[in-house]
Amino acid sequence: MRYSFFPGCFIPARFPGFEAATREVLRLLGVELVDLDFSCCPPTTNVKLVNYDTWLALAARNLCLSEEQGLNILSICNGCTATLTEANKKLKEKPGQRRKVNQLLKDFGHRFEGTIQVHHLGPLLNRTIGLEAIRERVVRPLKGLRIAAHYGCHYFRPPRVMFPHSLTASASYVPVGLDNIVSALGGDPIQYSRKFLCCGSVLGANLGGDDTYGVVWEKLQHMADREAEAIVVPCPSCFNQFEMGQVMAKRRKKIKFNLPVFYITELVALAFGLNPERFGLTEHTIKTKNFLDKIA
Amino acid sequence: MAQPEKKKKPQTQGLRIGVYVCHCGLNIGGVVDCRAVAEYAASLPDVTLAVDSMYTCSDPGQEQIKADILEHDLNRVVVASCTPRLHEPTFRAAVGEAGLNSYLLEMANIREHCSWVHLHDKEAATAKAKDLVRMAVARARLLAPQTEIVVPVTRRALVLGGGVAGIQASLDLANAGYKVGLVERSGSIGGRMAQIDKTFPTMDCSICILAPKMSEVGRHRNIELMTLSELESVEGYVGNFKVKVRQRPRYVTDKCTSCGDCVAECPQLAPNDFDAGLSTRRGIYIPFAQAVPSTYLIDMDMCLNKEGIVACDKCYQACQHNCIDFSQKDEIHHLEVGAIIVATGMDVYDPTPLTEFGYRKFPNVITSLEFERLINAGGPSSGRLIRPSDGRSPEKVAFLQCIGSRSFRSNVYCSSICCMNTIKDVLLIKEHWPETEVSVHYIDIRAYGKGFEELFRRARMEGVQFIRGLPGEIIENYKTRNLTLIGEDTLQGTIYRKEADMVVLSVGVEPRSDSEVIQRMLNLSQAADGFLLEAHPKLRPVDTPVSGVFLAGCVEGPKDIRESVTQASAAASRANILMAQGQVSVEAITARVNEDLCTGCGLCAAVCPFKSIRLEGEGKDKKAVVIEASCAGCGTCAAECPFGAIEQRHFTDAQILSQVQAATEVEPERLVVAFCCNWCSYAGADFAGVSRMQYPTPVRIIRTMCSGRVSTKFIAEAFLRGAAAVLVSGCHIGDCHYINANLHTEKRVRKLWRRMEKGGLDPNRLQLAWISAAEGNLFAEKINQLAQIVAKVTPAEIERSREYFKPKKK
Amino acid sequence: MKEVWKHIEPEHLYFCYECSRCTGSCPAAMVLDTPGPRRILVSCLYSGPNAVTGEESLWYCTTCHVCEDRCPQELHIVELLTALMNVAAARGNIPDKIRAVTDKIARTGRSVITYRVDEERARFGLSPLAQINVEEVEALAARTGLFEKVKT
Repeated sequence: MRYSFFPGCFIPARFPGFEAATREVLRLLGVELVDLDFSCCPPTTNVKLVNYDTWLALAARNLCLSEEQGLNILSICNGCTATLTEANKKLKEKPGQRRKVNQLLKDFGHRFEGTIQVHHLGPLLNRTIGLEAIRERVVRPLKGLRIAAHYGCHYFRPPRVMFPHSLTASASYVPVGLDNIVSALGGDPIQYSRKFLCCGSVLGANLGGDDTYGVVWEKLQHMADREAEAIVVPCPSCFNQFEMGQVMAKRRKKIKFNLPVFYITELVALAFGLNPERFGLTEHTIKTKNFLDKIA
Repeated sequence: MAQPEKKKKPQTQGLRIGVYVCHCGLNIGGVVDCRAVAEYAASLPDVTLAVDSMYTCSDPGQEQIKADILEHDLNRVVVASCTPRLHEPTFRAAVGEAGLNSYLLEMANIREHCSWVHLHDKEAATAKAKDLVRMAVARARLLAPQTEIVVPVTRRALVLGGGVAGIQASLDLANAGYKVGLVERSGSIGGRMAQIDKTFPTMDCSICILAPKMSEVGRHRNIELMTLSELESVEGYVGNFKVKVRQRPRYVTDKCTSCGDCVAECPQLAPNDFDAGLSTRRGIYIPFAQAVPSTYLIDMDMCLNKEGIVACDKCYQACQHNCIDFSQKDEIHHLEVGAIIVATGMDVYDPTPLTEFGYRKFPNVITSLEFERLINAGGPSSGRLIRPSDGRSPEKVAFLQCIGSRSFRSNVYCSSICCMNTIKDVLLIKEHWPETEVSVHYIDIRAYGKGFEELFRRARMEGVQFIRGLPGEIIENYKTRNLTLIGEDTLQGTIYRKEADMVVLSVGVEPRSDSEVIQRMLNLSQAADGFLLEAHPKLRPVDTPVSGVFLAGCVEGPKDIRESVTQASAAASRANILMAQGQVSVEAITARVNEDLCTGCGLCAAVCPFKSIRLEGEGKDKKAVVIEASCAGCGTCAAECPFGAIEQRHFTDAQILSQVQAATEVEPERLVVAFCCNWCSYAGADFAGVSRMQYPTPVRIIRTMCSGRVSTKFIAEAFLRGAAAVLVSGCHIGDCHYINANLHTEKRVRKLWRRMEKGGLDPNRLQLAWISAAEGNLFAEKINQLAQIVAKVTPAEIERSREYFKPKKK
Repeated sequence: MKEVWKHIEPEHLYFCYECSRCTGSCPAAMVLDTPGPRRILVSCLYSGPNAVTGEESLWYCTTCHVCEDRCPQELHIVELLTALMNVAAARGNIPDKIRAVTDKIARTGRSVITYRVDEERARFGLSPLAQINVEEVEALAARTGLFEKVKT
């Protein structure tokens, strides 16, 4: 398995530990990653809202870079995956838009052909690599700890773009990938109310103000109500929001949730027996010590 | 009013045609020069007299026709007036009264297809009217007298389904003196109505008003009640259906006194379907207390005994009346009936796929059907409203409307009864437990029927809160199992978080999951939403396209008890009309086989949508035979036969070809020859006329019953004669009046397109359009499009197509 | 009117019967003072896009798509809001933070500050950040008219 590696903007710059964990975990699982000069995806939460044409052109450029190497893209952030998947689909299905974009890309030596696919880390681990392969390598199981999986919005919505072949009778899609991975790692993936609600990070990023944390506070409360011991996320924005949300909850509402947040491959790395310090697992804002002690 | 033209010697021996050009007041006369058209008609060969009259369909107008037939010895009549879909029966009757065979009448549509759509071009309209009259006269020459065949009708009926619709239809027919076979799949009649607690708007106890009817069915000497039975096969045609019904055994004889001693002993448990799965029943059981028949039955799938091996005889031992018999077998009933009424009812939507509402995840979220059982005194909780999670009474109940209806995520239609059902339910809660807080979350409240608005008002007066705005999702408090609904109150413009300890999803209704089985067995059509299709939504709401088969109740669409009962009586009446005379006559447009030409190839039988053609005989003697009584007269067989061996009476090849030839006599290079089907596209063209939509003048319409009748040779003839373009038009795919005959039309036209392309002809000159009776605007648009095509066709192209379609010497 | 309808067909949007499952599910409507997707859509259909493109609340959409997931008429609400925001941007109505980050992405090819990032990365054994062809990114942004929209 060989993919071009799309780390996005956030992870390489703000959370390099996630990138390191991802690279090591995938190496152990037999996945080869190729680094290309990708730019920002760009996000559907700012550039696309300001100017659709720019968004499509920049996303197409990224897709072309990978097409030119004949590689499918592996993306490790929800937002990047949503952008690249949607742009890929639009350009494959709408010849008018494709022509317009190729006109622009021509001068830079690129041409979108529609030959590759975009993969996200979650479904890659869950389906492509498979849970068996993951289970085999677990040496430090997560001891049945109650872990709340938060998928985030761009993991699977809108389902007609992100999972077009798996729609339910009511044209929606209920993801189970992260829960499966948690089980495979020996943890107990819990159910909690409003599991598929947005984390609200975009509100803070685009507008600011403390009210925007209301969304993540509700999620944290529901997780706490079901006695979660940790949170696992597939996206750096969601990660940041859950950490900052807890910080603001302590500051503004005097509530301490004490729920350590993990990015998927951090949890996988832990279960594979790798040294947590190597990936910055001991440097999270919300202390992870208790959790790490429990699974030692 | 012109004087009849002087008598002329007929050209063909014996043909004496009378032509009547109607002014229809100013409707036609204000645009078309009717005098001139009549004069023109008089000049045509074989026309004995031609007059223009003010209102031909009026009594004086009809009397004139009758008088002329007698005085001038007319043997064909052409009336150029309004659409035949309006007055063909009128004029056929008039002609018949004068002693002339009714099928010797032809009509030319110079109103809906001419004067009303060319209001501003009187010259062109008049020229077109002349063409249309010439076409009608050409056809009239070739019309032959026809006799309608008379088919005997068995005076017995079959009713499928024992819900309230089936019960009502059976009683009506039985009381009218007919023998009725009532087939019910489950162990008892009663259907959905037996499951409901109270009915709206009267708040009657449902089973209390139903039970007497059920009882009457059970003891009626004219009704043969077959429960645990299903339709296995149907053969035959209107008035003469041969039906096989398979009845599964009860394993309990009618000596059963319903004492119930056996039930206590049975070790097997199964979910109780009657209670919507909220309770269990034993392997031996009675479906509900008021079941008819009241004999118990054994569910062999659950029973420990199989295939005659009796491993457990606990019920047998407990029974004091010795009425358990494990040796019973399936029984096949053979019935001969004249009419069939389908009343197989509906299913309720299962809201599990709408995961955001938590049905089947959260125990206190239930459906409206489950609610009916809970609140019913005969139900699993003896009528106490309790929460499934802990058996406590709820203090706050919320109802959610439109679940599974009005949505592209489930069913698109409105299920019609859920609003009133909820209003009834909330009144029941307030009546028994007035302290309960009740809210109804809705998009629209549909309280359309008699007494419905008043009931809605009562609900508001009782303090039920109506909140406009369905919740986005429902969340559950894991410890208390209470629910919170999060949504927007659209009338206040605020976000609400409503606490409830019980939520009722007001689910819609859907066709039964296996309704296809009955549909295919009886050759019925399904509408897009899966319910069975009626013959005409306004004028024939309980008939089906298949003669002798009628619909009643929810099988045709969501409806309440009153509407089901009304439809049931209507269907019974329709069946009665069919059976009362003991015979029925079939319109003389059926297909007939010429055995000398028939090679037994079977192409006709393969395309007949009604399976009314059979092949009989062996080898060289194999011939097609038409079952005339079930022939619906579409003519598809005639168009498919490569040997010209099967013909549709009154719509023969010769007649239609004569219309094509007459149409293309004058300046064909400026014309469009259009073939329109009687039920949809001809009606659509009529509708364009009624709506006074204006369009260009080059189209000349030829009517067939079905677009399936349009043979390739008609189209070829039109091009051979130099027509600029041809339009073939029929019902939308899936809506064909003759079920699916238009699929063959499509195949034929596509084949011809390929041939035309290969031959260097522009396939655009042959247009195919699906236009329904309501789509007058589409018809007008099509003609506009065709007029532009006609303007661009060059003389060279016309010549090319003339050459191409010349019959090749073999 | 035409600018918005260039991006998205209005016919389908008229299916809306204001059940408001969208606003009922919207995270922005939960915590901020916004009319919510229903009122924005309906205002736009009946009063025209101008009625909504001046509002800041238009930009509260997180593009989470829950509204689309639950809409019984399967309306593409987020696409409509995206089109409206594009139009609003052309008229100069963009919240400051979005203006800033969009500009940064177009000029540097990244949405984050990269000061001393390579040092941090080295700590985890990672090679320095990839070199992005900034000229290409900036040129594409320019040619698609981005800078006219984000100029302050």
